[in-house]
Amino acid sequence: MGLLGFILLGVAISGAGAWAEVSTALGLSLVGWGGLLQVIDGATLLPVQAAAGEAPPVLHLGFLLSGVLVWLGGWALIAHGIRRAPESTVGASPAAGATLYPRLARYRDFYWSTLGAYGGGILLAELVLVLLQTVLSSGVPSTELGAARDAGGGLTLPPTGAFAISLVAAAMVAFVSGFIGASRAQRLALPEATIGVFYLGLPVPILLTLMERIPSLQLQLGYRLREVTYVAGLLGRPELAYWLTFTGLVLALVLGINTGFIAAGSGRVDLKLGFELFVARRHVAVFRPSLLLGTLAVLMFGIIPPLLVYFIIRAAEAAVERTRIRSLGLSDPLASSEALHRLKLREQSPTMMMTALSVGGVGVGVMALIIVLSVMSGFEADLQKKILGTNAHAVVSRYAGDLPEYAKVMETIRKVPGIAGQTPFIINQVMIASEGNVDGVIIKGIDPATVGEVTDLPQNILGGGSLDILYTPEKILSRAMPEEDDAPAKGGAEDSGDDIIRRAGKPTKPAVLPGIVIGRELAASLRVVVGDRVNVVSPLGTELGPTGPIPKSRAFRVAAVFYSGMYEYDSKFVYILLKEAQDFFNIQGATGIELKVFDIDDARRIAGQVVKALGGYPYRARDWGEMNKNLFSALRLEKLVMGIILSIIIVVAAGLIVATVIMLVLEKRKEISVLKALGVSDGGIVKIFLAEGLQIGVAGGLLGLFSGLAWCVFIEKVGIKLDPEVYYIPALPVRIEPLQTVLAVVIAVLVTYLASIYPALKASSVEPVEGLKAE
Amino acid sequence: MALLSIRNVFKSYFLHGKRIDVLRAVSLDLEKGELVSLVGASGAGKSTFLHVLGTLDAPAAGEVFFEDRSVFSMNDAEIAEFRNRTIGFVFQSHYLLPEFTALENVAMPALIQRRERAGAYAYARELLERVGLGQRVDHRPGELSGGEAQRVALARALVLKPAILLADEPTGNLDPATGEGIHQLLRDVNRELGITAVVVTHNETLARSMPRRLRLAGGQVTEA
Ligand SMILES: Nc1ncnc2c1ncn2[C@@H]1O[C@H](COP(=O)(O)OP(=O)(O)O)[C@@H](O)[C@H]1O
Ligand SMILES: [Mg+2]
Repeated sequence: MGLLGFILLGVAISGAGAWAEVSTALGLSLVGWGGLLQVIDGATLLPVQAAAGEAPPVLHLGFLLSGVLVWLGGWALIAHGIRRAPESTVGASPAAGATLYPRLARYRDFYWSTLGAYGGGILLAELVLVLLQTVLSSGVPSTELGAARDAGGGLTLPPTGAFAISLVAAAMVAFVSGFIGASRAQRLALPEATIGVFYLGLPVPILLTLMERIPSLQLQLGYRLREVTYVAGLLGRPELAYWLTFTGLVLALVLGINTGFIAAGSGRVDLKLGFELFVARRHVAVFRPSLLLGTLAVLMFGIIPPLLVYFIIRAAEAAVERTRIRSLGLSDPLASSEALHRLKLREQSPTMMMTALSVGGVGVGVMALIIVLSVMSGFEADLQKKILGTNAHAVVSRYAGDLPEYAKVMETIRKVPGIAGQTPFIINQVMIASEGNVDGVIIKGIDPATVGEVTDLPQNILGGGSLDILYTPEKILSRAMPEEDDAPAKGGAEDSGDDIIRRAGKPTKPAVLPGIVIGRELAASLRVVVGDRVNVVSPLGTELGPTGPIPKSRAFRVAAVFYSGMYEYDSKFVYILLKEAQDFFNIQGATGIELKVFDIDDARRIAGQVVKALGGYPYRARDWGEMNKNLFSALRLEKLVMGIILSIIIVVAAGLIVATVIMLVLEKRKEISVLKALGVSDGGIVKIFLAEGLQIGVAGGLLGLFSGLAWCVFIEKVGIKLDPEVYYIPALPVRIEPLQTVLAVVIAVLVTYLASIYPALKASSVEPVEGLKAE
Repeated sequence: MALLSIRNVFKSYFLHGKRIDVLRAVSLDLEKGELVSLVGASGAGKSTFLHVLGTLDAPAAGEVFFEDRSVFSMNDAEIAEFRNRTIGFVFQSHYLLPEFTALENVAMPALIQRRERAGAYAYARELLERVGLGQRVDHRPGELSGGEAQRVALARALVLKPAILLADEPTGNLDPATGEGIHQLLRDVNRELGITAVVVTHNETLARSMPRRLRLAGGQVTEA
């Protein structure tokens, strides 16, 4: 029967010519994924084929059918394997017919309601995340083409804020569903959890991933989910963000399941912890000054120095103690035996040692996470400061062409709330030449009166100079070089072409040339100082010279040198007056308007508001995040990967905790039995040992927090010098971000919580009679 | 209505693929306030029987009723609570918790019930005085002698005034004189608090001194 089915299936697949697709799906099919994959495939293919007009519907009907068939077959196999019970071979026992142990008689192997709670919970959590996030920030006018029109309805939270709120809400949903499911079933119900997550949890992230891959799907969903994709895109790799978030939600579900089982697995919800903590604290005395101080010392100064100090102190102490006991014993032997007894009591057990190691392990992990992430944040903040110092927070321009009406536009923008400053600019690429060198640079026409509202350029001028000097080029001090030419002071227009001819003339007062501001690195590579003359050559606009078209060229005098601290800017940017740029490039008005906002995290929303105020197309506004998207997303991705790698230390430490708690469980088997005989429920035992693991985690986390922060403060205050040639920054930057620091500790505590679950469950499954057998 | 009824209880162990039927269709009623001795050869299944009575072990078949309520039909939390409130255990070894002082050990069942600390300690102190250990409240079990520890264990079993006291060879590890002290305490407790007590013992004179005597042999419990 089954064979026949497979043959038919084979024929069908060959007929559809889909062996390759089917075989790839086959592995997934066996765990039941094939069917849904095929449905998704079919669904995505449908519009494409309809559009193409040559749809062979047989193909994807075959797809669907074969997928569903294989899927059912896979499950049938699994079910068959489970249901095959061994048959009884021996005859009836004397107890045949007696009442079965009631709790066994009531046993159920599967809870549909729990499956519903788990699966529905994870799905609901995902939907909450996606929908809530969209609702919370969909009111933000998008800066994308034509979007300004249908921006309306929904709230206008910044996207990252909306994501954070939605994530918390979704995690709560997942946690609560897990809690309810587990407390209803009064057990962990792993099959239900697996099936729930597989069938109801996975489709959403899979769909989102597919959306990034399949253009037609993106067309259909992309706009509606733009807030979701935007935040995911901040990482540079949206798929990674989807799966990380999904993992986070599953983790919340797992935590909920565990908490539900622990709190209510014994048959009633019991959230009190007083007694369990009382016992746990006696079992592992983590919060002792000597242990905490010792571990902190190891974290702060490394292993060797504290260990040396410890041994010296211990040796001295022991010597003093023994001498005292001996002198005591000389007069009263009984007193000395009592003192010896006390000394013995202070000796430490191996579990104690393991506990200290685990605390240290978690501490090292948390400390490393905090230090490294803070330094990376420091670099990021430094970079951001420099970029935002030199760059605007947002740029308003037209989709195509220049902005002749910039004055009017600026009038409108002024009314948008949240704008701190604005300035018009012209940007272009030119060659710059000095006596000694040539370089390709970006030239910017600026308005010195307002440029300071937006960038730090005025403050970055070296030697206390001011941009106002651009207005009065005649005041630029020139290095009175003998061969300096004496072009007439007519603004420098059309005077550069015949440069060489005039050089023959007798040296007089240097000509008045328009001023130009260049960066320190550029000044060094061009070998010019303030007052020197440079030629700017634009490859775009051409002029008619004596021998045909030649590139437009103009002479400028270096009016000032700036230093921003960003190599990119100091070597690649030059500034001239807006008016000069208009003349030089033949531009009406400006290329665009640079904006500064009060809250840089709100730049995206304000940029949208500006476009809205301007009436949408043809205007557009791009915020700094968008303009430097690749740079910042690379930084974030780097930080995330770093965080994940460093979390491995915590995971290793969690392994230590598992070992420690297992050791504790083995050591305390008898006590567990006694506690149970005295009336502690299974849930109570789980709580006791979870509390023991958690104590280690919390102690380690706090120690890591303290030592990490101490190291950060040390790096900040004392400073670690960097080679300025390489890093372009004098010392290692640190920035302690409260959220990420707290997150490191929370992650450590969560990991230790998860790590303690297995040993704690093991502890609770110790039968009372096991430990009560007389030895 | 009996306080505790055992109905048709079976219990078997499996060793090297062989089934050992320790209890075979045991049925028994215990009335309130009874003082019962249980004797039987070593390995007859006395401890097993006591464990089933005290819900520490689950029978393969059969039921145990406490005041007409099926004990093993309760869920885990209810059974734990039942054990905590209704049953006091004394074993051959004292099984005190080593990290806690005598006082804390005695108060433990009350703490498990989440009773208020001070009250629990006050009553535990009283009980310790009653068993003659007023001077040992702050000692750890490791710092007590066998007889002292066993008296602490008895105080612990009694701290919540349970309806049933199950004692499994409580004097098995003690010298006769100390043992006699424990036995006297058991009798007093039974008389003063009206606690139903089942005492497993090898001491024939002690067994004979009890109002009701049971014998476990061949998986069956009979009146002796
Ligand atoms: N966990 C166990 N596994 C296998 N056999 C056991 C186990 N516990 C007890 N037994 C067997 O069950 C019988 C009864 O044991 P027990 O109740 O301790 O006897 P008693 O207390 O009367 O000396 C003995 O033969 C013993 O070997
Ligand atoms: Mg025994």
